[in-house]
Amino acid sequence: MIDHAQYRRAVLADPHDADAELARHRESCEECSAYTERLLGFEEKLERALRVTPRAAAAAPGTVVTPLRRPRRQALGRRWFAMAASVLVGLVIAGGLWLAAPHASLAADVVAHMAGEPQAWTRTDVPVPSPELDFVLRNTRMRLRPDAGIVTYAQSCLFRGHRVPHLVVQSDMGPVTVMVLVHESVSKPTPFDEEGYRGVILPVAGHGSLAVLAKDQSGDLASVEKVAAQVQAAIEWTG
Amino acid sequence: MKDDAGGNLNRARFQALCQSLRPDLVRFAFWLSRDQALAEDVVQETMLRAWKARDSLKDETAAKPWLLTIVRREYARSFERKRLITVDVDELIAKEEPMLAASQDQELAELRAALFKLPEEYREPLVMQVLMGYSTAEIAAELNLSSAAVLTRLFRGRKQLRALCGEDTSLDPE
Repeated sequence: MIDHAQYRRAVLADPHDADAELARHRESCEECSAYTERLLGFEEKLERALRVTPRAAAAAPGTVVTPLRRPRRQALGRRWFAMAASVLVGLVIAGGLWLAAPHASLAADVVAHMAGEPQAWTRTDVPVPSPELDFVLRNTRMRLRPDAGIVTYAQSCLFRGHRVPHLVVQSDMGPVTVMVLVHESVSKPTPFDEEGYRGVILPVAGHGSLAVLAKDQSGDLASVEKVAAQVQAAIEWTG
Repeated sequence: MKDDAGGNLNRARFQALCQSLRPDLVRFAFWLSRDQALAEDVVQETMLRAWKARDSLKDETAAKPWLLTIVRREYARSFERKRLITVDVDELIAKEEPMLAASQDQELAELRAALFKLPEEYREPLVMQVLMGYSTAEIAAELNLSSAAVLTRLFRGRKQLRALCGEDTSLDPE
């Protein structure tokens, strides 16, 4: 049984997905049904927007060309003013929020990130193509040797304001997620067990930290730590 | 590619096939490059290469993905030649204004401007899905990605696009 977030995530990826489970959820959930209706309306506009007409056809007699934007000079002035105002307002709001909000732990943020990519946890032996893995690791100054295990998922994710590699390695205990957090330092290995995930955050000298976690029914902490050590040993830092 | 009589596809039939597919190929190249002149050049070059390699197309129904693959390759070649390292999106929008603003519908014009701002890694699979009608598996094969990665890009692309267009995204998942 899928939940609302899983349903909406799936229809945002493919609003016309005919999957039976999605259809069942839509029929049983008024809110998600209305959400889908609005999304399909947007989708229809998107399709029309993509069907651009070549210039020659647009200039045909009887076709009215509406300016998309104001003249550039005027737009530039307004844009600078808007940007300055936005930055100022943003700083005030962000400052206020930072002071007011409780600061979540690194482990809690890693676990929260997992909810956004449920498809990453597929148990499979099909590795991601090399170009895809290279693309994700392109700005990380690291390489991953094959002895890390089979990498079956690789994405570059926004985490605490930075793009970080989010990998899934298949192990004896099933899929294990690895997040390379070069911007987050920890002083010592920090095990955690929250929200159905069990894992450890390892310090990596000069390169921040490594978060390694599995779903808690997959195995105990010792098994996760074993995979973490294996992955850490397979990373080659190039800078 | 063979014609009905089992011989090589003749020029007239090839031209008819290309002409029927050309509009979508130009649109695809346009959204890839965000430059109409470049898109037309890329598709023209694609047609020439396709004609020379027409024997490698065994099944006429596969012509669309076959040509799309050539378009992507030609675009990559043009990119290498021109060394387009940085792109000012506002300049691109201003340059392509007549084509983007061909509709009187302001909402569509804003959606097109938002598409221009979408990172290529999200824009390309979205265009393949919505405009070209590709399935997730077909996009994955064309872009050399896993299906999971394609779904993630489509999800993020649509989410970002909706936010850029000022849609209500309060119910969108993180």
